[in-house]
Amino acid sequence: MTFLGLRWEGTRAFGATEMRVQLHEGLAIATSMIVQVVLLVFVLVLDRSILPYALVGAVVYSVFMLGQRLQNEAAYIRIDHKLTDLYFASPLSAEAYFLGMSAGVLVAYLPPILVLAAVLVVVVHLSLLAVGTLLFVGVAVWFFTCSFGYIISTQFKDNRAIWPYASLITNFFGVLPPVFYPLALLPGYWHPLALLLPTSAAVILIEAAQGGLVAVSGSGLALAAVALSAEAVVAFALAIVWARRSARER
Amino acid sequence: MPAEALVARNVAKSYRLRRGLTVDALRGVSLTVHPGERFALLGRNGAGKTTFLRIASTLLVPTSGTVEVFGRDAIADPVAVRSLLAVVPQEGKPFFHLTPREQVYAYLSARGFDRATARARTDEALGQMGLLEVADRLSTTLSGGQRQRTVVATVIATEAPLLFLDEPTIGMDPFARREVWESFRRLSRKGCTILLTTHYLDEAESLSEHLAIIERGRLLTQGTAEGLKQQVGGTLRVSVPDGARIRSELETFGQVVDDGEKLHVVVGPERVQEILALAAREKLQPTVGPVTLEEAFLRAVGRSIDAEG
Repeated sequence: MTFLGLRWEGTRAFGATEMRVQLHEGLAIATSMIVQVVLLVFVLVLDRSILPYALVGAVVYSVFMLGQRLQNEAAYIRIDHKLTDLYFASPLSAEAYFLGMSAGVLVAYLPPILVLAAVLVVVVHLSLLAVGTLLFVGVAVWFFTCSFGYIISTQFKDNRAIWPYASLITNFFGVLPPVFYPLALLPGYWHPLALLLPTSAAVILIEAAQGGLVAVSGSGLALAAVALSAEAVVAFALAIVWARRSARER
Repeated sequence: MPAEALVARNVAKSYRLRRGLTVDALRGVSLTVHPGERFALLGRNGAGKTTFLRIASTLLVPTSGTVEVFGRDAIADPVAVRSLLAVVPQEGKPFFHLTPREQVYAYLSARGFDRATARARTDEALGQMGLLEVADRLSTTLSGGQRQRTVVATVIATEAPLLFLDEPTIGMDPFARREVWESFRRLSRKGCTILLTTHYLDEAESLSEHLAIIERGRLLTQGTAEGLKQQVGGTLRVSVPDGARIRSELETFGQVVDDGEKLHVVVGPERVQEILALAAREKLQPTVGPVTLEEAFLRAVGRSIDAEG
């Protein structure tokens, strides 16, 4: 199966392998919702009015965390288990390995994504447009975060060295920008950056589609949509190039 | 005439370090592995065995040289040869959150095997590795040896025409090692070619039909185990602990090899008594034994296979 000059045979099989690996880690799946739920509890206690923002943010944050999961998993498999040698010296292509792993880790954050999305639909009475936008940005963030995570995972020779970067990346994309809180709380000069960052751009687009949750101009929304799409596509393309390069050491 | 399983010509690999320094991991290694052959690359840690194996298995690009796998260029077109080979990585571990059965089956599926074949091959490989009893236990609960056997099972289940095994029995108990050797022989009888790296001399001697000794990135000598032993130039080895003070006398009997602890001289049976008398005069306690692959290695490399550095 060749598409765009790349070989995708085995993607489904490797994705199934990775899903099985994730499913055996029940505790990790069970705890994948803790941060989001704790933040939602804080919001409920401190300021219920921003609950819709926090719910949208919790869904996007959960999708973003897929990339962090992949980053740790890919590094662990490569550095500790050396299983990449087993797979790369086989007919499975590097792009199929990467995409299969991206699909496989979905299992780890599927519970929070589905539960929080359902709560969001019920509590905020999400419009059809907002649901469509949620699906679109969800896929874009998944592409971006998995690609970003995979590239980062190839940069280290020691698993422990990745941990601080994982924390840094999670906070930079998931906590600092207006993901869990309204854009209006951020000083105006930071707004362009918020529109460019994939996580906050995704949140703003959902909030705008719902109507009344965020005040951003049409051009601002267009910038967010274009930036998010471009980041997803470019990161995915880069990850494939990176996967192919790292499959054969030089 | 069918193509050779592996032909490497002048394969070299250099790594450039900071400050313009370079390290030569391989310096022009050439070798040929015939179809169906069991070929062992023997060398000390850091000799270049794994580097060669990674290049031959398309995982590493050489600085220079050519590699052909069944007549196809493995350097220029790695994709074309990857379906013909499978690799047991050095110190590879199975997915800890899969069972051995899931691990082997998943790998075969990813290589494109249909379900029925993958299931049958999985059971067969696990059986050969003595893993059926633990086939449905998560790998986290297995011993180190069982995990290593799981990785070997994963690879032998492919029955790929060319198998690269990098220290495949490391961490296994002697009984398990022999079971693994037998499974390699069985694969070889089916027509699979095996290139293994090892620093276990008994493994190399028992398993391989052809051996090559590699040291500091160079292939020093190759041949059958018997052939390499004959090159040593005698049938008995006399080892003299703390024999430095009689080194010059020992050298009159033949080439003396110092492994850091003992001096070794290989001689014919007719000269053993003379050396024993010499050692007794100096109150030394030599030992005498048949020439083994260890002497062939010592002769070729000048150091024991376990010597570091």
